[in-house]
Amino acid sequence: MPTITEQNLRTLIDSLVKDGSRVVGPKAAGSLTLYEPLSSGSELVLGALPRRSAKETFFPLCEDILSYEKKEGKMTVADVDLARLPQTVLVGALPCDAAAPGILDAVFSWDYNDEFYLERRKKTTVIGIACTKADDACFCTAVGYSPSESRGSDLFLLPLEGDKYRCQVITDKGNLLLERYRHLFTDEEGGKVLPLAHPTMEKLDLKKIREWLDKNFENDFWREIAERCVGCGACAFICPACHCFDINDEGSEGKGTRRKQWDACGFSKFTNHASGHNPRNVQPQRYRNRIMHKFKYYDDKFGQTLCTGCGRCVRACPVGIDIAEIINKIGSGL
Amino acid sequence: MNNIAEKQNTPLVDSAYFEAITTAIRMEARRALDSGEVSAVIGYKSGRRKGSAQPVIITDAARSDELVFSPACVNNLALYLTKAKKEVRKNGKIAIVAKGCDLKALAGLMGESQLKRENLHIIGIACAGVHGGNVEPSEPLSTGTIARKCRECHSHVPEGVDMTAGTLPALEQLAALESEELSRLEAMTPAERWAFWTEHLSRCIRCMACRQVCPFCYCEQCLCDRNRPQGVETTPRPAGNMGWHIIRAMHLAGRCAGCAECERSCPMDIPLNLLNRKMAQELKDLYGHEAGMQPHEKGPLAMYKENDDESFIK
Amino acid sequence: MHAEKLKNNFEPKIVAFVCTWCTYAGADLAGTSRMQYPSNVRVLKFPCTGRIDPLFILRAFQKGADAVLVSGCHPGDCHYMAGNFHARRRFATFRKLLEFIGVDLNRLQFSWVSAAEGGKWVEVVTELTEKIRSMGQMQEFKALELEECWSGKLDTAELQEAYNKI
Repeated sequence: MPTITEQNLRTLIDSLVKDGSRVVGPKAAGSLTLYEPLSSGSELVLGALPRRSAKETFFPLCEDILSYEKKEGKMTVADVDLARLPQTVLVGALPCDAAAPGILDAVFSWDYNDEFYLERRKKTTVIGIACTKADDACFCTAVGYSPSESRGSDLFLLPLEGDKYRCQVITDKGNLLLERYRHLFTDEEGGKVLPLAHPTMEKLDLKKIREWLDKNFENDFWREIAERCVGCGACAFICPACHCFDINDEGSEGKGTRRKQWDACGFSKFTNHASGHNPRNVQPQRYRNRIMHKFKYYDDKFGQTLCTGCGRCVRACPVGIDIAEIINKIGSGL
Repeated sequence: MNNIAEKQNTPLVDSAYFEAITTAIRMEARRALDSGEVSAVIGYKSGRRKGSAQPVIITDAARSDELVFSPACVNNLALYLTKAKKEVRKNGKIAIVAKGCDLKALAGLMGESQLKRENLHIIGIACAGVHGGNVEPSEPLSTGTIARKCRECHSHVPEGVDMTAGTLPALEQLAALESEELSRLEAMTPAERWAFWTEHLSRCIRCMACRQVCPFCYCEQCLCDRNRPQGVETTPRPAGNMGWHIIRAMHLAGRCAGCAECERSCPMDIPLNLLNRKMAQELKDLYGHEAGMQPHEKGPLAMYKENDDESFIK
Repeated sequence: MHAEKLKNNFEPKIVAFVCTWCTYAGADLAGTSRMQYPSNVRVLKFPCTGRIDPLFILRAFQKGADAVLVSGCHPGDCHYMAGNFHARRRFATFRKLLEFIGVDLNRLQFSWVSAAEGGKWVEVVTELTEKIRSMGQMQEFKALELEECWSGKLDTAELQEAYNKI
């Protein structure tokens, strides 16, 4: 099996950067860790769950989609040149983050091909890494993933004793990268795998949860769990799978940019109509949509669950709303 | 830097203190609901994660025993009484669990005619402090886990409440980290301060948690959501972020009660309370205004004196 | 030739928010009296200084102003009795906030100019223009306007160069 030392993993990043790739990985940013572009291997932070998920490698917080300019009474519109999107390697993505783009592919290539997302997907190679640290907010095991889940990764690293990683080739894209930098890997058999993380939640019956959701669009439960919801977008913005966005024109009449930015179903303006009517006019209805979308609608449409159990929303919710607790309750028939 | 010798992670109070408060809250909630004095109690209950707590609104006396108080009871519950939370604010009297800083928010809301004292039954907490942001909820209250705002709190003992839960233990004097940070910033050059704030604010993702948890951000139409005309760009780019946070601080100047919920809720760890604390300090220096536990008839920016300082005007 | 002039001699853009009853009339008086003052100032007329939202000042800076001037009636002269008294407190507070954020307060000027003070208007505008001319452009907000959050960046110059080498 190809094996790489931690030192060589950092050298790999250096080489990738030198060879012209954008390399994104967990990096210290002030008091937090975020997936950000690395300028050298030494910046890679291992063993911490970044505050925001890796989805922004494919679906940035905010991006320009076109620009316009009025000159001498004539309006010109310029598209974004997608060829300028750089070849990217996402390194050190934890299983819950690496798995998410695989889920999102379905919606971004469904009735409309989101060329921004798809172009980034095409140009990105994901080097996933097994997870060694979980807290009681983590629940990947409950939604069908695990700390050693390689779904979504092109190469997957399993930590071994002695600061080494066993590298599993998951896709052809991964193999291509491995072959190109083969000299940084050695072939080794055996080696003791480090103890992996151990989230405590048992696997949930997602089918049963969906069945309950099918029948309980109206239920007092929604009010009970979500009347405390304050309607911010923290849960959605740090979620690896939430993918709603809004589009805004910014600038002036004569010159400006159309931008795409993250949006969240928790916002009261999310479903506000131009007429002033809001079909989801109280917070519990908005929170219900979050659960429904993740565990029912997406499943109905694409056969997948829109949650990888990273636990970020559980940690970040200002009012302690715990999605794991909620689906657990639904799963156990309330 | 700290002029107070302070050991890392020394526990500050024993658990009996929190247990006593919990018991007192439960008894009072049961009594108030049973007697029909209030229609609901806004308090805290335990969550799934070890030691965690979340806001809860109970209307049934039988559920009183769900109520708890622990260092993880960080929220400012006054939020649930504003008009932003219309679904909660029902007719009749509501009981609310309030720490000192929450009480100041309640007083502020009363001053702004958003609440009436006679519609509230306030269960005040003799509060030794709560957790800061990003703290494991199961951790005990210690020098390592206590919120920055609690380190220099002057509102441990609630005033003007209907009952006080718990008795305040002897409190250690803690290093005033936030004031120290503020002084450090004030000593900087404008360019250095600009660099400090652009670095922090560029990280803002506009999740609006700071606005949504703020008891004073109850406008039905926030200025930053308006697009005709647009005052502040809505996209999470550095320019719009800077605009938003300046306007937010300005709109809270003279109103903020200092609960620091904005800072705690920020998923990007932006030290927002530094802005609030700075503005509070300026308004105290300029107009002698301070947020207190008793309502002010008018906020400092809703009134004037003919002899106000105008040395900055030509 | 115009470009040459700009290069050698920076012409600041100054936005003036003025109240219609005093300062606007004062500026008008300066004009009708044929007094000369720098044309760098763009005057925006408001009913009262009390109507001038701190947001407008911020917006002016964001849109490229090198300085902002806010001017209205002297205390006691407000057409609406107390608009300028309220404005005075609001701006006293706002400038402290901007200072704390790191804005150079030399770029934010407040003044009281009555309808009879055409001369004072000329003096205030001239002085501010000269000051800003020597200070140079207001860079901060403009730079911020161009800045992207990292994930919005398509590419960087360094990366582009690296591509070209492959």
